[in-house]
Amino acid sequence: MRLLLTLLLTLLLMIPFLVRAELVLEDAWIQNLPPSVPVRAGYLTITNPSAATVRIVGLRGEAFTRIEIHRSTMKDGTMQMESRSALEIEAGETLRLEPGGLHLMMYPRQPTRPGDSYRVILEFGDGETRNLDMVVRK
Amino acid sequence: MIALAALAIGFGVSWYLASSRPIQLESGTWFGEQARALADFELTDHRNLPLTRAELTGKWSLMFFGFTHCPDICPVTLQTLDRMLGSIDDADVSAALQVYFVSVDPYRDTPERLAEYVAYFNPAFIGASAPPQKLRQLTGPLGIAHQVHQRSGDSENYGVDHSGAVVLINPQAEFAGLFGAPQDAAAMARDLTRIVEHH
Repeated sequence: MRLLLTLLLTLLLMIPFLVRAELVLEDAWIQNLPPSVPVRAGYLTITNPSAATVRIVGLRGEAFTRIEIHRSTMKDGTMQMESRSALEIEAGETLRLEPGGLHLMMYPRQPTRPGDSYRVILEFGDGETRNLDMVVRK
Repeated sequence: MIALAALAIGFGVSWYLASSRPIQLESGTWFGEQARALADFELTDHRNLPLTRAELTGKWSLMFFGFTHCPDICPVTLQTLDRMLGSIDDADVSAALQVYFVSVDPYRDTPERLAEYVAYFNPAFIGASAPPQKLRQLTGPLGIAHQVHQRSGDSENYGVDHSGAVVLINPQAEFAGLFGAPQDAAAMARDLTRIVEHH
């Protein structure tokens, strides 16, 4: 009985990790640009099949001085960049970061090259992190 | 004789209708008779050559206004324009088109930087810019809005708002049409083929 309780408690404590493990990250890539341009846009598709909303509150990577969350929007006839503090993926939803909309604004320390892969760390609302590899595409 | 005359009138009317009928574009707006002559302007292109109205005559020009530090919209649009050119089958049509990338961020976008930038997307693209007052001589009449955000502290990192539209200028250097964002390469290729072949 005690063993069963311990097991149950352990499982309960693991739920946040189980939820995290379910997040599906796909098609993560970085738009290459010529060396003189110091910024790159990053894109990916995030699916949250769990029953709880997941928040990505920050992104970082050794190869980048900083990574921000931006959205291109049309306002008063001009394309503008809107800064976002977090990415929120609701239960059962898929969030697409794609050209012309939501994207990562990345500041690489060195110029990128097509085919290169970069490790990025996602920081979640509960303090947990997850690694993501992003490939540079021409 | 009457039948012949009727036939002639019929041909005349149908020819008249065909030539004056406004072109309906799939992916943009065609101004037709409302095309407006551009005012004089002077930019400097990525080869340090002047870009004025005179350089725009003789070809169909497609102009996009942006800045090189723009990681999302500008690469997408320039790649779309490159794909659009690549999907035109008629070599005479693609040879009649010239793409211009006009930077509305002249502070950072020097001719050297523009040269590297436009060539990355297509070696035939021409990049150009000018100080703000000179830029407005071109963008004002075209209705192209752009705004550089206040550069405070971090002098190399600032945002620039700009129109997402691609402007079409005819070989008489008149503002002839507009393709709004987001542009569709295949539809634009079909539209431009019809326009160029029709003229």
